[in-house]
Amino acid sequence: MEKAIEVRNLTKIYKGGSVAVNDVSFCVSKGEIFGFLGPNGAGKSTTIKVLIGLLRPTRGRLFLNGVNIVKHPEQIKHNTGYAAQETAIDDRLTCLENIYLQGHFYHLPRKEIKKRSEDVLKMFDLFDKRNNLSNTFSGGMLKRLDIAEALIHRPKILFLDEPTLGLDVQTRQAIWEYIRNLRYQNEMTIFLTTHYMEEADALCDRIAIIDQGRIKTIDTPENLKQQIGGDIITVSFSEISNGKVQKTLEKVKQISQVKEISLDKNKIYRIVVNQRGDKIIPEIFSISQKNETNINSIRLQRPSLEDVYLHFTGRTIQEEEENRENLIKTRIMKRRLRR
Amino acid sequence: MKELILDSWWVAYRELIKFFRQRTRLLMIVAQPLIWLGLMGNMMRGMTNSPMAAKALGVNNYLDFMTPGIILMTVLFGGIFGGLSIIWDRRIGYLEKLLASPIKRGAIPLGKSISSMIQGAMQVAIIIVIASLFGVCFHTGIPGMLLIMVIAMLFCLILSGFSLVLSSIIKTHETLMAIVNFFTMPLMFTSNALFPMSVMPAWLAAIAKVNPVSLAVTAIRELTIHGWVWGKILPSLGIILILDIIFILISQFAFQRETVE
Repeated sequence: MEKAIEVRNLTKIYKGGSVAVNDVSFCVSKGEIFGFLGPNGAGKSTTIKVLIGLLRPTRGRLFLNGVNIVKHPEQIKHNTGYAAQETAIDDRLTCLENIYLQGHFYHLPRKEIKKRSEDVLKMFDLFDKRNNLSNTFSGGMLKRLDIAEALIHRPKILFLDEPTLGLDVQTRQAIWEYIRNLRYQNEMTIFLTTHYMEEADALCDRIAIIDQGRIKTIDTPENLKQQIGGDIITVSFSEISNGKVQKTLEKVKQISQVKEISLDKNKIYRIVVNQRGDKIIPEIFSISQKNETNINSIRLQRPSLEDVYLHFTGRTIQEEEENRENLIKTRIMKRRLRR
Repeated sequence: MKELILDSWWVAYRELIKFFRQRTRLLMIVAQPLIWLGLMGNMMRGMTNSPMAAKALGVNNYLDFMTPGIILMTVLFGGIFGGLSIIWDRRIGYLEKLLASPIKRGAIPLGKSISSMIQGAMQVAIIIVIASLFGVCFHTGIPGMLLIMVIAMLFCLILSGFSLVLSSIIKTHETLMAIVNFFTMPLMFTSNALFPMSVMPAWLAAIAKVNPVSLAVTAIRELTIHGWVWGKILPSLGIILILDIIFILISQFAFQRETVE
């Protein structure tokens, strides 16, 4: 497969000395949807900004469609489209004015701008609202317009920084559909960052898990789930880790299919098994009966990306997500207040 | 070069669409000179009854004296906000979008300046019309009025350059507003915009002499009251042009420095 993006040992250190991206290497094939999954401050946005020429890399070699963009930064802009994390739509302009201006910023001829805007607006179902002021738009519509604008110059590689941040579930799924269509209809390479597991799982061909500026692993969502093993059984006991529980767990560990047992914050044990967790559960029951421990609850889980993430970073992404959503909400509020 | 001008135009165009869309603001632009000339001008009218004052002012009608001052004041307050929108653009992420597009980096501050120059020229045109209705006679006629607009635009360019420099350094609206007010008021009142230098105390007259506002006011005032007095107009114009170049260069430098990392 031909490579659309090739990053070799990229390091970005900001002026203050903070290391945002630390020796990151990866490749994205043409026509692939590639996702960067990680919490805030993991270095996702920084990587994108280096790739589209907004930031200079401290070290490393970068290639877009085979062109060394550190040496030829002027090659970047006509080949890449970028929709930032925060939708940058001028809310006092109409939908068409916004997109026309974007066309002019990309030096397209007037006729071409007119034709292309019509195309992209239709594609994103915004054509009927083209003459509305964009401050009447909902969050989802603004995001659609933002992505539509990024397509006006028909880029070969599209960079989406958190494309569905702060949107509700339905809108989010609609946007996923648009992104999938882009790939099938235009054979575009799409690089996106997200901290939503479902998003990475639903959209990406391959995922890189990034944490504190380093890539922890890169693979397809399927392989990643495989990698951390088969099913996961979570158990909680009525007794709080006394000797009996320990004894039970010792015994459970001896079952040949059990790979590892770990304890999380809420006193719940995660038992990772090789395969077929439903066949192990009866065994766990009989062991615990023999050792006179009472099982409170037991649950069988197919591995999700969430588990993969936990496995590779040692943290859940949940809390970070909540903080982020709040931040976005206040930002939207502030924007509204300004009117 | 052609690209730079085109890019700047589209940056300016965006500001202008928004300018013409704000009806209240347009209304204010008309209302403000109406109030200044109609209210303050008429209040001070009695002043020229005294021959002493009339001599100091050099006119028989205070409105003739005051109109150039009002023109400069409007351009001063308008132009100094010219660069402020860059702060807002930075905050909503529009600046990043501009930087990610292939437009020339320098077109961004330049476009902002161009838009505030055009807005300034429009405001000046409105003031000239209103002043004429109040009976102010522009001695140099329409060519003079056009030159007055050009001078006002060039002065606007200095100020928007100044505010672009400020907004590259200062990233919050509130602080910037405070600083802008700190500069504009004294600039206005240490100039000959509303009172002639001859009646000022010596120290104030000394400041007024080097105040760029006075330079522009002098040139416009000559065009309004006396006619084509090139000996006074050209030096003012020259210094304004030099200041324009200096501020364009500094604002370009500040913007580049601020956006490259």
